[in-house]
Amino acid sequence: MAGLGAPWWRSLWRRAAAPLALQRPGRALLWSRGYGQDAGSEADKKESDVTKPCFMDELVQSLLSKMTGLDLQKVFRPIKQELKPPTYKLMTEKQLAEATRKAIEEAKELLKMPPVLSEREPIDDVLAEDRILEGTETVKYVFTDITYSTPHRERFIVVREPSGVLRKATWEERDRMIQVYFSREGRKLVPPPIFKDENLKTVFREDRHEDVLNLCIAQFEPDSANYIRVHHQTYEDIDKHAKYDLLRSTRHFGGMVWYLVNRKKTDGLLIDMIQRNLIDDATCLINLYHMLHPDCQSAKEAKEEEVYGVDLIKVFMKTESKKVGYIELALQAYQETLASSAAL
Amino acid sequence: MVHLAHLLLKNYHGGHVAIRLALGGCANRPFFRIVAAYNKRARDSKYLEQVGCYDPLPNSHNEKLVGLNIERIKHWIGCGAHVTKPVEKLLGLSGFFPLHPMTITNAERLRKRRALKAETASEEETPGDQ
Repeated sequence: MAGLGAPWWRSLWRRAAAPLALQRPGRALLWSRGYGQDAGSEADKKESDVTKPCFMDELVQSLLSKMTGLDLQKVFRPIKQELKPPTYKLMTEKQLAEATRKAIEEAKELLKMPPVLSEREPIDDVLAEDRILEGTETVKYVFTDITYSTPHRERFIVVREPSGVLRKATWEERDRMIQVYFSREGRKLVPPPIFKDENLKTVFREDRHEDVLNLCIAQFEPDSANYIRVHHQTYEDIDKHAKYDLLRSTRHFGGMVWYLVNRKKTDGLLIDMIQRNLIDDATCLINLYHMLHPDCQSAKEAKEEEVYGVDLIKVFMKTESKKVGYIELALQAYQETLASSAAL
Repeated sequence: MVHLAHLLLKNYHGGHVAIRLALGGCANRPFFRIVAAYNKRARDSKYLEQVGCYDPLPNSHNEKLVGLNIERIKHWIGCGAHVTKPVEKLLGLSGFFPLHPMTITNAERLRKRRALKAETASEEETPGDQ
């Protein structure tokens, strides 16, 4: 069956691509099946408390989804589709509440985060050496197993070189062959030039980070070098120019936060959250930071003193952050606005 | 599950199923489908099942693409299908079958011919120098 062993994140292709209905069973089914290696390693990590939390841990995911927020207007803003005249419905209060509830559920589906995986190891495995064949051919032969029901990760793709060596295909060759025989919508055979570094700069200047990330998810596998490179460059650019709000309420926000927290670059994001009066999000961020870096000083202090809210931010600010001045200013401004609104 | 292969084979007396190449494509652009068909059928006519494809012209990455539905090939061979020589050679190159003896023989013949040519070329050179 196509679902068996298919990675659970196969279900996440959205606007840029629709999954082939035949090949992939229902989203719920896929989501419940673990991605083989990760599920196993996750279980090990949960049992041993010493190792650091994974991207897919429930606690981590809940923190990240809280920070992502749920702005319905942004999630359901018009995508490029066929022009249809708008439909108007007359509803009672109860029906409206029901419709909003359904919309929130659908939005949560759309906001499921694409996976964060480490880069895949290059394949170089020689199956047979037949040097007698050297010189007979000038071309390599690529043999793909097109059995419909094998998962793509387990498909046999071998290459017979002109030197007579029979080897397993590299990841790039594998991706190309699978796209030739089992094409998926939104994925091109040759990656579009938007993913080159010079063109990425142009895209970032136009604030189209989300579109680039959606295209990247459609085009590349999550553990390929290109996917990781594009994502990291996008996150770096957002951090440099403090454009965090572009990704808020999209499915890429969790990945960005995970990237920043792992590299301890959380200051800009923290300032942005305080300036927008999202103190809960800020506390979530700091909790996540403490989960991932339990040895840092602020984590130890927070555990000893059991601080919450603004105090937690103050503790974090004093010990871990590099832009102490900015965060203090932002906090002061926030508390002044609180005081003035309380006074009113 | 309905086992149809038995019925397909039972009524075909004196003939057999073959896994062979069926030519398609356009002028100056061949393209082969690897196909399980009755032996006596025309090369390109109705087949039982398409079981792969082979593109003899190399692509922009200098590769010849061959797709093989291994599961179905195994099934047809299990039902007693014969495999024609070109398909045997392809399967041998892919590693699914052992290398076909003619592949090895042709490789050796080519090597000998090239060695002979090199020898005669060097022989012509040395008297020329002298």
